[in-house]
Amino acid sequence: MNIMISILSHWLIALTLAPLFIGIIAKIKAFFAGKKGPSLFQPYYDLQRLFQKNSVYSRTTTWVFRCAPIVNLAAVLVLSLLVPLGPFKAPLQFPGDIFFAAYILGLARFFMIIAALDTGASFEGMGASREAFFSCLSELALFMNFITLALLTHSISLSSMIGADIPMSWKLMGPTLLLVAGSFFIVILTENCRIPIDDPDTHLELTMIHEVMILDHSGIDLGYMLYASALKLFVFAGILLPIIIPIQMANPVIDMLIFLSSMLGLSVVVGMVESTMARYRLNRVKNLLLISFALAFFGFVVKMWRG
Amino acid sequence: MMTSWVDTSCIITVFLSLIILSNYRVTAMIRVFALQSFVLSLLPFFLHASSLSGRDIFIVLVTMILKAALVPYILFWAIRHVSMRSEIKPIIGFGASIILGALVIAGAFWISLSLTLPGKPASDLILPCSLSTVLLGFMIMVTRTRAVTQVLGYLIMENGIFLFAVSLFDVMPVLIEIGILLDIFVAVFIMAIVVNHINEEFEKNMVSVSRSKMGEAF
Repeated sequence: MNIMISILSHWLIALTLAPLFIGIIAKIKAFFAGKKGPSLFQPYYDLQRLFQKNSVYSRTTTWVFRCAPIVNLAAVLVLSLLVPLGPFKAPLQFPGDIFFAAYILGLARFFMIIAALDTGASFEGMGASREAFFSCLSELALFMNFITLALLTHSISLSSMIGADIPMSWKLMGPTLLLVAGSFFIVILTENCRIPIDDPDTHLELTMIHEVMILDHSGIDLGYMLYASALKLFVFAGILLPIIIPIQMANPVIDMLIFLSSMLGLSVVVGMVESTMARYRLNRVKNLLLISFALAFFGFVVKMWRG
Repeated sequence: MMTSWVDTSCIITVFLSLIILSNYRVTAMIRVFALQSFVLSLLPFFLHASSLSGRDIFIVLVTMILKAALVPYILFWAIRHVSMRSEIKPIIGFGASIILGALVIAGAFWISLSLTLPGKPASDLILPCSLSTVLLGFMIMVTRTRAVTQVLGYLIMENGIFLFAVSLFDVMPVLIEIGILLDIFVAVFIMAIVVNHINEEFEKNMVSVSRSKMGEAF
């Protein structure tokens, strides 16, 4: 019973706050562009509108296409259970759950790719191939970061890897954590298709990666997809933030405030990166991902050096 | 002693060398180099935070002016008319050179295991990081085909040596350090002139291309 409550409250927080995060980023970008920008709650309105609509399916698609949005959202929801959100401990934790986390992401991505292929459109196939290529590189960096964190905290469970040992590690292993945080930030931008890698706002552009795969989804399916990507960004931020700001008070209210303000800070940083940088040319994106891997590897080397 | 700041500067230095290694635009590379030199020039402050002497401030100012302002300025001057804004065909591709760079860093740390310094350095990261920077600079010098990028590789090597020298600051007379800096300055000056002349002679100053063109003439 207790675990049910903690799971439900976890989902409630993640589901209510995730679109706000996207809204803040959009607001920051509008501010940098000198515009007023849509309201902070625009993502909520969008989702509400999409959830009221029916979906349109192409005749070439099969059940694979129809179940992809559901699998995608479900996978990200399960992933969110592994990540502590401020004062709320992760409801699911077991040794080795980082592999579960990485592969449940892989499952979501697999269904997205296969649904894009299922439409039979050459454009979506191109997006699918790009997504597969870039995510395979970002997974490299992700696992290198996980290895370093696991060595630092002597644990292979996600919530203890980013948990209580981190403040101690900053004193001894500051450089390593700095490198891990930098590398993981690039992973976040990649996995969530943010600007230096992919532009979440452009449709029908030849260089886009993620957005092209959801072109054929409509109505409630598109709503699921957008909700899943907002949640994914939220969850990834939830993994990065305890590494950067490892403050844990005993008081849940203060913890929640710290969590929310650091979330706000991160979305401001993401928004600033998006408004000050241009999207990389597609054939240069892999260099950025390899740099992210090199950073993670460097962090690993420093960890081994300091012992 | 602000060890964590020293650590951070070391890490950033190596990181910026990696960025230069992966970059293909010469102007961006020069800017990153200027940033790296700036970070390095602040090191004496961090090393002697508790007891700053006039010598520290002198070194900081000289390195900052020379390496973070004057040398990048000369490099920009050298490429001002030249159509060599980007490194087009490196001998080793960008992706491969990043992976190799990561391995080189690991190698540098491995080598540093068996090196011992006289006295105790401020941070145990200084030696391996300076070695990595030297090796990465060497890699840039060897694998790039533009004359300007090769000059940049040489300068990054020098930055690595500077990082090493700063850690031996207390046993090293300041005059030698200044002498090295002046040497570098003169070297860059001469190289800038040479780059310009290569350009005038051969239109393109891709070393390998000019060589093959000379071959075609015969």
